[in-house]
Amino acid sequence: MSNVIGIKEERKNLKVGDSTLRQEFETTDMALFVRTSEESMNDWNRQRIVDALIRETYIDAGTAKEIAKEVEDLIFSSKIKMITAPLIRELVNTKLIERGLEQARKMHTRLGMPLYDVDQLILHPNKENANVPHGPEATNLTLAERIKKEYALLSVFSQETADAHMRGDIHLHDLGFVDRPYCSGQSLEYIKRFGLSLPNSIAMAKPAKHPEVLLAHMVKFAAALQSNFAGAIGWDSVNLFFAPYLVGMSDRDLEQLAQMMIFEFSQQAVARGGQAIFTDLNLYWEVPKHFENVPAIGPGGVTTGKNYSDYLRESQRFAWALFNVYLDGDGSGRPFFFPKPLVHITEKFFQTPGHFDFLHHICEVASEKGNTYFVLDRGETAKISECCRLSFKLEQSDLEDAKEPWKMRYCALQNVTLNLPRIAYLAKGEDTRLFAHLTEFIEIAVKAHLEKKAFIEKLLSIGERGPLALLAMNRDGSPYLRMHRVSYLIGMVGLNEMVQIHTGQEMHQSKQAFKFGLKVIAHMKLLVDKMSERYGMHFVLEQTPAESTAYRFAKLDLRYHSPQSGHIVKGDLSKGEVYYTNSTYLNNSAVLNPIERVRQEGLFHPLIEAGALTHIWLGEAKPSKTSLANFVIKTFRQTQNDQIAFSPEFTTCNACNRTSRGLRSICSYCGSKEVDGITRITGYFTKLSSWNKGKLGELRNRYRNQAYLQTKEGDTVLMAG
Amino acid sequence: MFPWGPPEPSIRNGKNGRAGQGLGFPPPGRGALNLTMVEIKGFLETSFIEWPGRICAVLFLPHCNFRCPYCHNHPLIFYPEEFVSIALEDVLGRLQSFEGWIDGVCITGGEPTLHPDLSNLIHQLKARGFPVKLDTNGSNPDIIERLLEERTIDVISMDVKAPLDPFSYRKAVGSPVDFHRILRSIEIIKRGKVEYQFRMTVVPTLHGMEEIQTLAKQLRVGPRFILQNFNPENPLDESLRRIHPYDPAFLKEIEHQIQAIG
Amino acid sequence: MESIKIFVKAKCPRCPAAKEIGIELEKEGVPVFHYDLDTLDGLAEASFYSVLSTPTFIIEDEEERELASWRGMVPTLQEIKQYLSLGR
Repeated sequence: MSNVIGIKEERKNLKVGDSTLRQEFETTDMALFVRTSEESMNDWNRQRIVDALIRETYIDAGTAKEIAKEVEDLIFSSKIKMITAPLIRELVNTKLIERGLEQARKMHTRLGMPLYDVDQLILHPNKENANVPHGPEATNLTLAERIKKEYALLSVFSQETADAHMRGDIHLHDLGFVDRPYCSGQSLEYIKRFGLSLPNSIAMAKPAKHPEVLLAHMVKFAAALQSNFAGAIGWDSVNLFFAPYLVGMSDRDLEQLAQMMIFEFSQQAVARGGQAIFTDLNLYWEVPKHFENVPAIGPGGVTTGKNYSDYLRESQRFAWALFNVYLDGDGSGRPFFFPKPLVHITEKFFQTPGHFDFLHHICEVASEKGNTYFVLDRGETAKISECCRLSFKLEQSDLEDAKEPWKMRYCALQNVTLNLPRIAYLAKGEDTRLFAHLTEFIEIAVKAHLEKKAFIEKLLSIGERGPLALLAMNRDGSPYLRMHRVSYLIGMVGLNEMVQIHTGQEMHQSKQAFKFGLKVIAHMKLLVDKMSERYGMHFVLEQTPAESTAYRFAKLDLRYHSPQSGHIVKGDLSKGEVYYTNSTYLNNSAVLNPIERVRQEGLFHPLIEAGALTHIWLGEAKPSKTSLANFVIKTFRQTQNDQIAFSPEFTTCNACNRTSRGLRSICSYCGSKEVDGITRITGYFTKLSSWNKGKLGELRNRYRNQAYLQTKEGDTVLMAG
Repeated sequence: MFPWGPPEPSIRNGKNGRAGQGLGFPPPGRGALNLTMVEIKGFLETSFIEWPGRICAVLFLPHCNFRCPYCHNHPLIFYPEEFVSIALEDVLGRLQSFEGWIDGVCITGGEPTLHPDLSNLIHQLKARGFPVKLDTNGSNPDIIERLLEERTIDVISMDVKAPLDPFSYRKAVGSPVDFHRILRSIEIIKRGKVEYQFRMTVVPTLHGMEEIQTLAKQLRVGPRFILQNFNPENPLDESLRRIHPYDPAFLKEIEHQIQAIG
Repeated sequence: MESIKIFVKAKCPRCPAAKEIGIELEKEGVPVFHYDLDTLDGLAEASFYSVLSTPTFIIEDEEERELASWRGMVPTLQEIKQYLSLGR
């Protein structure tokens, strides 16, 4: 791709387009060839510099000509044999800078990567996102992301926003996917009703008549959505919406269908960059209240004449079958990484017959494989949690939508995370300054959202002929992406460290410190509510999953706020395994039992609208399913915690293909050292070999609810139960 | 740990039931409670494993009269004095702050029945409304009998080490053992005064299919006989580190078979 | 001595009644703390006590242990007083 200019001396007869140039070439006695990105060789033509400057920047023709001449002189006098086009461009840039034309220089930027970096990229795996495998397809993804990221920072966002990101005051997530929204929640009803009729696709499929076909449509549609969204694709009430297709199916066929669904969504290398589609399946044991009296759509996309409340049995059987598959794990007994099953526990759940057996069933999966997410929806307010970072209390307008469930498509347009410890370093212990800086950071995040919104609206305005054709398609009277229902996420990393810097104690160390943490989040909550009102947009707080952000912020603060930050960041400084504690979590290494974790962390959850979660790290332990069920019920009844997940750890052997409990350096079956660990990194399971250093540091620190003895010197010895 | 009492978020409306209960006994750290002298060395506040169906706390007591080669908790046996003891008052104080959550306390070790004031410890826990489960190796039938006859404890779990013959047992236990006391304990427990189980840690070199089946036939307790997989990390006998445990699925299958023997 | 925390919000029909009870108790010498959920300190304190509906009353002893609470409702003065050592 790179333009290469060969300079040949002693070549007299030149072919040049520009007459003024001819003269000079005769005097310089040199020949230049330009290899262009169109993979052809062109002769040297100074006018190209002039053209580019006039096309790309605002400078006048006279200045452009002057610059072109100066650059030409420089190249010819240097007598180098080979120069690259990026170099010419940079030489032009130096001339722009010399003239103080900074804005023009910015506009004239070339995006791309150093040779060395590309070499590294092709040879080594990407550790920023553990869900990206290593391979040519993944490399393509990363290369594209790099350029789009630079583009975003230069062109989509203002300099102020981009600088805040570069400094690490904030983190703009998925910049490499700047031309798409962030994550989305889907309704199966859309494809059940309209079939698979996508813009730009070569064939149109009518609504499915058979469950297998519906599944195929779902998978295809998910893949199409993955190329239009950066992050998770969630599906609401999957078991219920499948139910009208499942009438009369045998247990065996049902289990087969469940297996197909999970394997389809768990296989990698089928889509974008070889990534698995980050899929959430929302499941219910009951028929959610807001769907009870909704006419059910069945085979062929037509209503069956019954309401969804009539399909409770099929819906339950399918949910049960899905968890049978999760319990078995994949072909070598490993937990499925995707799709993630989110079971909603509601008041109605407890009124629905068989709920206790089902709770034990999903708790067995939680204990054996860890997959289950328990989403705790309390009270009478209907709530849906569409994808991992997005949940809604259903307002009146949504309940209207629920009567036509295909309308229930939601999206978070972007995710911006604040570096909370940074604010505390800047505040130097003063409350007023701390809250002032916090306000300022939120204002920058809001600005970033406005900029992204403007950009996406520009892309959408081109409609079905534009890059976001899928999101602009209109099948039911409104575009697929309903911009008026979009949310804008504002997340946080390192509340614990912010409190530690500011008060001298971590949140688990004193009531005062903990309350200060609540005050910070309360401030954020009140402020985003105010911003929502001011701009007529839906800004919501969320717990950033911060797979790499917690590492990035810690590294940047070590650079800018040393030596203080050296005492604050968590992890192992000597190994570079540093991190900040995710979102509003309590210190990962603190000896807090699961009751304290769900109780204390849960106090933040009512303030965080876009879905919050408490992790319970199990390590090697395999708890009793009935004890877990007991714990889930108590968490539902006695706390305000939004969601919990239990995370076991596994060692999978590449030699004998067996999977054992716990993280080990050798396979406990065959003794091979060719092993890899598996556990949850943030919101999903993945292999340890793909983790970044920060998360490895966190993993080493995680307290796994183990008993221990304490020596009189203060050392600890772990015990077995 | 939170050194401060975390709030008790009650989401029910109206009066909070805690008020009455809270007045029932004085808060920890106040007043002279005549507390037992048992040295508690380890305290796991919440376990989902030890007592199926319940969320229980686990207390680890030091010392043991057995030397099972696969024991994991041997630091408790060989040099307990090196570890800090946890005051019972602190344990009770912690338990109280998880009222409504913790529904049982499991006492394990080491071997709890070696402690003369074990029953005092149990009483202190029971007085505060906590059901108690006791783990034992069965070497002290008299103590077990008293605890069971008086129904002081709610569940007893006895570790069985090998088929019930003196030679096998001696080998598995790693120290001289009065075999008749083991048999007597089994007999007492099987009277069923309280809920019980027999648990066997299965080590491939010590226990084959045959040994497990023999023991199952001798016990004849059906599903009350449960198997636990050996963990090769840090066993008392270091040579066992090289032993690979049975495949969990295989062990589960065996458990299923032997539980049919009633 | 016990203290009472009262949580209110601007748009809440029963909150004026709750505030009045607070004033009444204050007159009798009971320490009363008022929190408004629309303010930063009020919302932070409400989060700490899992207050999700207003008005809410929480009675605590001197070591900040909760003795009783009424959430989303207004108790009578009598109901509150049975938890207060005052006048007993």
